[in-house]
Amino acid sequence: MTPFELAEPRSLKDALTLLNTDDPSVRAFGGCTALMLMMKTGVFQPTCLVSLRGVEPQHAEIQSDGGALRIGALATLTAIGGSAMVYRAAPVIVNAMQTLSNVRVRNVATLGGHLAHGDPHMDLPPVMIALDAELTAVSVDGERNLRVADLFTGYYETALAKNELISEVRIPSQAGRRSAYLKCTTRTADDWPALGVAVSFATDGKVVRDARVVVSAATEKAVRLRDAEAVLEGATVSDAVLARAGEAAAAEAEMVGDARGSAAYKREMLRVYAARAVKQALAA
Amino acid sequence: MATTLGKSNSGAAFGRSIPRVEARAKVTGKAEYVHNLRLPGMLYGKVHRSTVAHGRIRGIDVAAAKALPGVYAVYTAADIIKLIPEPYYGPAFHDQPILAVDKVHHVGEPVALVLAADPHVAEAAAQLIDVDYEELPAVFDEVEAMTSKAIVHDVLKPAGTFPDLKHLKGKRDTNIALDFHLRRGDVQKAFAEADHVFEHTFRTQQVLHVPLEPFVTVADPTPNQLVIHTASQSPSFVRIEIARLLGWPENRVRVKVPYLGGGFGAKLYIKTEALTAAAALLAGRPVKISLTMEEQFYQITKHAATLRIKSGVTKDGKVTSRECEVWWNGGAYADIGPRVTQKSGFTAPGPYDIDHVSIDSYALYTNLPAAGALRGFGIPQLVWAYESHTDMIAKALKMDPLAIRRKNILREGRPQATGTLMRDAGIEKVLERLAQRMDWEKAFDKGSGTLRRGRGIAIGFKASISPTTSVAIVNVSADGSCMVYCSTVDMGQGSDTAMAQFAAEALGIPVESVTVVHPDTDVTPYDMATLGSRSTYHMGHAVKLAAEDARDKLMQLARDVGLSAETTPTPDIFRKKYGMQAGNIVGVGSYIPTYTSPDAQGQTTNATPFWMIGATGAEVEVDTETGEFKITRLVNLVDVGRPVNPAIVETQISGATMMQLGFTLFERMDFDAGQCTNASLADYKIPGIRDVPLVMENEAVDMVQQSGPFGAKGVGESGTFGVSPAIASAIDDAVGVRLTSLPLTAEAVYRGLRAEAGKPLDE
Repeated sequence: MTPFELAEPRSLKDALTLLNTDDPSVRAFGGCTALMLMMKTGVFQPTCLVSLRGVEPQHAEIQSDGGALRIGALATLTAIGGSAMVYRAAPVIVNAMQTLSNVRVRNVATLGGHLAHGDPHMDLPPVMIALDAELTAVSVDGERNLRVADLFTGYYETALAKNELISEVRIPSQAGRRSAYLKCTTRTADDWPALGVAVSFATDGKVVRDARVVVSAATEKAVRLRDAEAVLEGATVSDAVLARAGEAAAAEAEMVGDARGSAAYKREMLRVYAARAVKQALAA
Repeated sequence: MATTLGKSNSGAAFGRSIPRVEARAKVTGKAEYVHNLRLPGMLYGKVHRSTVAHGRIRGIDVAAAKALPGVYAVYTAADIIKLIPEPYYGPAFHDQPILAVDKVHHVGEPVALVLAADPHVAEAAAQLIDVDYEELPAVFDEVEAMTSKAIVHDVLKPAGTFPDLKHLKGKRDTNIALDFHLRRGDVQKAFAEADHVFEHTFRTQQVLHVPLEPFVTVADPTPNQLVIHTASQSPSFVRIEIARLLGWPENRVRVKVPYLGGGFGAKLYIKTEALTAAAALLAGRPVKISLTMEEQFYQITKHAATLRIKSGVTKDGKVTSRECEVWWNGGAYADIGPRVTQKSGFTAPGPYDIDHVSIDSYALYTNLPAAGALRGFGIPQLVWAYESHTDMIAKALKMDPLAIRRKNILREGRPQATGTLMRDAGIEKVLERLAQRMDWEKAFDKGSGTLRRGRGIAIGFKASISPTTSVAIVNVSADGSCMVYCSTVDMGQGSDTAMAQFAAEALGIPVESVTVVHPDTDVTPYDMATLGSRSTYHMGHAVKLAAEDARDKLMQLARDVGLSAETTPTPDIFRKKYGMQAGNIVGVGSYIPTYTSPDAQGQTTNATPFWMIGATGAEVEVDTETGEFKITRLVNLVDVGRPVNPAIVETQISGATMMQLGFTLFERMDFDAGQCTNASLADYKIPGIRDVPLVMENEAVDMVQQSGPFGAKGVGESGTFGVSPAIASAIDDAVGVRLTSLPLTAEAVYRGLRAEAGKPLDE
């Protein structure tokens, strides 16, 4: 790893000013867990890293407003996973956190970095999409709101401009909805998943409405599976419905094979995991 | 402390779970490691590595690297040869150049070295070196290497260093570094007469040691000596080999080894030492080379292997004959592969009493990173094959896995495949105790629906490397405190604690009054190496002999001054002799076991000083919809003779088991045209705490190694033996899918389930 300049601005405004440059080797970090891996392999050689760890503490705050959540982008995964507020509003997030990477990573990695990195193997993008979360992106030019579902544009690619940072993530009230996230990890327990599936839907206990089914890790980016959602829409869940939903998911998702499993295997796993995720959400 | 000699061999120090002597220093970050060493004027070396698997070097352009500000020097083989005309090293063959000479043999081979005071400058400059290669045809598969037209080395040059490898011959135009053959009885005739003949082929993948402390060496050219500080398991070998390369006497090379952050067989013989030493002498400055975690993937690995086993069996399950062919993928350099081939060849038929045996074991060169010793010297690969084979036979004959083993097990006093009689080998005891702990005779819940349960057992054994020498010195000071000087390396296995226990037990003094001096070849005497679970037995003997020698001398000293050492505090004896607190007693111990080299048929009456036995029982739960499985229980049994330190023995068993569990379930070096594509801990996953089975039980059975020091023998590897086949058999028991290649992935199980259902999954 080659030496680089480390900037430690005290305000988000100063950080955004530092990031307002054409130099692609200037990057911001929260916990630096993902960037560090790229730096170690030489894939990324920064001239300057902008640490966000010293900016105003409110950017790490977690707030609840009725059933809705507002999570500062600098909240660590440990803070989110340990928040009673988050657990009440969206227990699926806290549950996902138990097996997300390892405790050393969770202690420093931040929600903003976790989403902005654009890595399809991360656990929270599918969960946030399933919960229909929205985020605010800020830059020296101002701020804009964006659905997390629209954040990911490709493999390690996002809709964020070079000079933009995520400042907060908002999760709407999940009243009347149920959610679950399941992942398939084929090597060590703390490896990146081979497949992630998040589901969320409204239900009166029998009929499913407004279903969201999201696949990640096995695909180029976290993405909703509309055909599977259509199977579930208005349906009363039965083994036959689950089988058809799994079938639709497997047919629709574009799977990528890698060292964690072949595309063919991951497709079969999606079939099984999508059905199991719906079952788990109903049981929740 | 005013110590009086107590009774020798009283059990006061030996056999007790004394806390590790270095534990406090390690957890408080105060333990000494080479990585922390900085010398005045020290330069950092960074290696430029080959990007092709096999190629002739047309030219090396170092101009841009040399021109980078801050670069002190850039060296290639042309510079090394000025200092060392024959710059090749290795324990079995002198085949490994300090820097590539004319040719590269694998991706990652060191081609040039940059020195700079700033390691970042050295790293940047190493990337500026441009090498022009003429690519040559390469061979990667061990079976193909037998007949391949691609020849990795033009000439093979045996090293002639170790007595057990004296027979190696120089050869041309072959990739076979060593072929070991054993013949006992008449296998073909027995096959013809057998009721059944079974033949299976198994594969294991290339993996690596991953010590958390990567390879690191500092070489310091002082006026009279070259001082080498290195994370090595074999300081005596490093001294001898560096002296040989330089044409110097041994006493002009001094090798010092502090603690190691893990070794597992990786840090044996020469690794980064020759290059660091040559660079320091060329530069006239201290030089440090520390590999990154990523570079470790190119230094040394564990052999991938293909193993074919064929057995003749009677209809009631008695194995009458066995033929084994094993091909070891040694990578580009032999390292200690020939010993792996030979020693594991000895035991390839398994711990079974088989009259007719034929073994052919081949160490092969390929264009992959070199393979050497890794916690078991090839035995885990063999046990994987012969125990899987055993259960496949049992299943075909509808026999119980325990019953077929009981029928064939190699019992005490019976000749093993080499003809050597089994002595103090607790094979039967380990097997029976495993069956007991697994409740094997009781009904087992096989699960239902999509969750199916199964169980499996496996047992393996290993001969010690022989003959090897250990020398130790025990120094009793005038206050009665004692120091043990030995070149055994404490790499995390607890040898400092064990050696203190041996000395204390033999002298009859408290363990707390013994310290162990770390390897320093100017101070500590010769030891072959810390490898193959040999230190407890060999160095244990040497330390015991040295302590007994010191005790005898102290008794004599006391008698000379009219006292008894058993009733007079030791300081008073010295004070009476010397008139003050002065003087010391030095005891010396040297140990080499007897050994008889195998004949042309692989037969010997004395193959090993002791046998190591290890067995594992596994219970698994398989999800039939996904192929995913959980290990719900893992039981590990070993014969270690009398445990020196029961607590450390237990952690050695669990540590070995977890390491083998990684090789069984996840670990695999992936290659693309000889390039390792997952050379980092982000992509090559090793087990963590959450991968430990839900229930893991470890036990050393009640045994005594009669020839061992206080009845002890080695323990470091035995926990690895049975892990892989026990889990594979448990999966088979649960869902009827038999896997014959490692690692055992959920996808492989799933594919097996689909194939069984007549709906195979596409690639």
